[in-house]
Amino acid sequence: MILKVEGVTKHFGGLYALKGVSFEVREGEIVGLIGPNGAGKTTLFNVVSGFFRPDQGTVTFAGEVVSHLKAYDVSRRGLVRTFQVVKPFGNLTVLQNVMVGAFMQTANPSKAREHALAVMDLVGLKDRQDKVARSLTIADRKRLEVARALATRPRMLLLDEVMAGLNPTELAQMLEILQRIRASGVTLLVIEHIMAAIMTVSDRILVLHHGEKISEGSPKEVARDKRVIDAYLGEEYLLA
Amino acid sequence: MIAVLAQVAVSGILLGGVYALISIGLTLIFGVLRIVNFAHGEFLMIAMYATFWLFHLYGLDPYLSIVLVAGLLFLLGLVAQLLVVRPILNAPSSMQIFATVGLSVVLQNAALLVWKADYRSVDTFYSKAVISVGPLLVGVSRLVAFAVALAITGAIFLFLKRTYLGKAIRCVTQDRTAALLMGINTQRIYMVTFGIGTALVGIAGALLMPIYPTFPTVGSYFVLTAFVVVVLGGMGNMTGALLGGLIIGLVEAFSGFYVPALKEAIYFIVFILVLLIRPTGLFGVVGAEEVGLK
Amino acid sequence: MSSTARTGSKVGSVGVAGWRPGVDFYVLLALTVIPILMAVSVKDKFYLHVLIMMLFYAAASSAWNIVGGFAGQLSLGHAAFFGIGAYTSTLLFVDWGVSPWIGMLIGALIATAVGAGIGYPSFRLRGPFFTLVTIAFAQVLRILATSFRDITRGSIGISVPFRPSFQNFVFREPADYAYVALAFMLMVILVSMWVERSRLGYYLAALRENEDAAQALGINTARYKLMAVVISAFLTSLAGSFYAQYIAYIEPFATFSLDFSVLLAMMSIIGGVGTVWGPVAGAFLVTPLQELLRARLGGELQGLHLVVYGTVLIVVVILLPQGIVPSIAQWRKRVFRGGSTRTLPLGKEAP
Repeated sequence: MILKVEGVTKHFGGLYALKGVSFEVREGEIVGLIGPNGAGKTTLFNVVSGFFRPDQGTVTFAGEVVSHLKAYDVSRRGLVRTFQVVKPFGNLTVLQNVMVGAFMQTANPSKAREHALAVMDLVGLKDRQDKVARSLTIADRKRLEVARALATRPRMLLLDEVMAGLNPTELAQMLEILQRIRASGVTLLVIEHIMAAIMTVSDRILVLHHGEKISEGSPKEVARDKRVIDAYLGEEYLLA
Repeated sequence: MIAVLAQVAVSGILLGGVYALISIGLTLIFGVLRIVNFAHGEFLMIAMYATFWLFHLYGLDPYLSIVLVAGLLFLLGLVAQLLVVRPILNAPSSMQIFATVGLSVVLQNAALLVWKADYRSVDTFYSKAVISVGPLLVGVSRLVAFAVALAITGAIFLFLKRTYLGKAIRCVTQDRTAALLMGINTQRIYMVTFGIGTALVGIAGALLMPIYPTFPTVGSYFVLTAFVVVVLGGMGNMTGALLGGLIIGLVEAFSGFYVPALKEAIYFIVFILVLLIRPTGLFGVVGAEEVGLK
Repeated sequence: MSSTARTGSKVGSVGVAGWRPGVDFYVLLALTVIPILMAVSVKDKFYLHVLIMMLFYAAASSAWNIVGGFAGQLSLGHAAFFGIGAYTSTLLFVDWGVSPWIGMLIGALIATAVGAGIGYPSFRLRGPFFTLVTIAFAQVLRILATSFRDITRGSIGISVPFRPSFQNFVFREPADYAYVALAFMLMVILVSMWVERSRLGYYLAALRENEDAAQALGINTARYKLMAVVISAFLTSLAGSFYAQYIAYIEPFATFSLDFSVLLAMMSIIGGVGTVWGPVAGAFLVTPLQELLRARLGGELQGLHLVVYGTVLIVVVILLPQGIVPSIAQWRKRVFRGGSTRTLPLGKEAP
């Protein structure tokens, strides 16, 4: 059990973004986190990764309670997240961006560079290493976001909508990247809206709606779950 | 003793009124354009010089030249906005800081170049006049400055609340994008606001001329005070600027009385403390993001 | 190590496009050899003075650049560190007979402590608010230096007695000051180069670009900003001690002056803030003009040089936000390499 979220509640003023959310993630899994817009998925990521403090509940990572830690401390323990709206270091090159991630494990610039290049290779960015991040296409930016996080040698990655805005080819490539990441031993918790994609790649699915977990199970089970269908149909969503 | 303290308090309040007037322009500009105008003090300096020259060359009494000076500064503000501020409106804050700092350097040194470093004063029949209100002595020019400052502040409040333009300005302060979507010409609002903010400082300059001498760096002195006031009251908050001005006026008067050597240091320390402890100021909420509160 | 061509196009880019490694080395070499040659051959006291000022400002501005450029924290209060250095080494020398070489290190340590103390709570503040705190802070020090007359001699100032000796850090030959200034400048440049290429440099660039993303990658942003301040304060304080010994007279208004802080920042920005060579280029461009104007036209056209600089600053900020050095490098790249340096116009951030 690499990640344990227990009874996490987060509210902003009177608005409850998360209500008593509990789940576990096993090491090596790919877990998909889905839910209609506004369900609280990114808020959950923010809490788990230390950007928000939960009002109630705890987050335990690799046996250690991390709910009270600052975001950079959580990352240093191997739990790293990406951002839904990508945040590249615009004026740095792709290589420099990824090196920033790599530096978490080494203070040596050449070692960081080496590792960064290896990660970029895995993600397919190696030939664009000297491009300034600001000039990248959306697909490449998503890749960069993933590569940068991956360069920190995390044990678990929280990926927030890395497939949004990609065309079918890019999407397929991203799915492949996720598989490669998992194969290298990293656990994945992935927020996604693109159903076909997430259902294919995930071992298990968690469904959030109005800040609460309404379903959990294998993709097939979740797809048949009436509560899930209701939640999505209520939002006029299509469950592929 | 009470009489002495009361005297100190009165001069503090009168001073505070003028500080408030200087600061309102600054806070208005920040609220709308989200820019800290580091050249604000130099506009004050120009206004004071304008008042001086109008008096010296044409014998125009400072109080009579208020409208003229305000108009001049309004135009100056428009030009500055167009040339310096507009190009950097969306630039990172570091660039904005340096653009206005650059402007401040240019204006300050242009004044030095043209008018030399000598102190210039305006000497009118009321410059040194004092009236007694009960046991207290009140400088006439200070009283007038305070009264006009208060009146103008009131006028600005009404303007912002009642007129269409005023409301438009308030909209832009709250949410630029929404204002744009509502059909407000934000570019024009920026220009007008900058102009108004500068004009307010112009009025302050005319009011200050009978009281203080002017010299090229007089702006730096007052602008730092203005920043303290604005931060204390909350960036973008008019009421805050008014109350902040009065508070700082009092603080300055009392520290001038008790620890004259450290007078300036006191309100800088106040400034630092406010920024570190409560950066939104006493009343500010607008601009809280700017200050970096999470 | 193969080339990492880097493109800079906004404030504080890491590195300069088009420089191949080795070019840095040649520039450094030139910067060492040429000043030495000048110090040896030039006899005119005024030109030596200009040389010394160029080296001095290059050093001081580069020191500022570590905080203002690499870390992106725009301080306009660096005069505080400068003044601490100047006053500490001078007072220790004049009142206690401590060699300024030692006094300067003590001053630097004090400046570092003060910088850390003020910096730490101030880093929460963004943009102009941080700048305002730094201004206020330097002003407070100026006022304190003026009022604690018993210690600091107040506005009268302190003169450094002319008793030439290496130990006293007082030299008979102006050229000797040039050698010291040169050594100092080279030291600061080397420190800058080290910072830029090290993890510290990358982390500073990251937190400057996007603080949230930096934190998500394990960067304790407050700690790294603090590191930058510590290094910068130390070096700026050394510059203050040098200045005190060279000019041989210090007083609060000039030493803790806002104008000086602005000048340091201005030189870096004009030359290219956030790069290693930017501050040096800026200082080399600005200083000769300043000294020449001040000497030749001193009385009548006082302030002209600053009007020019202020205007240049505004123009640079609006048209060449990355400063002169990166702009030239980019232009070179476009003209000679046909490289892609697609940059977005100022004000239009990519989505």
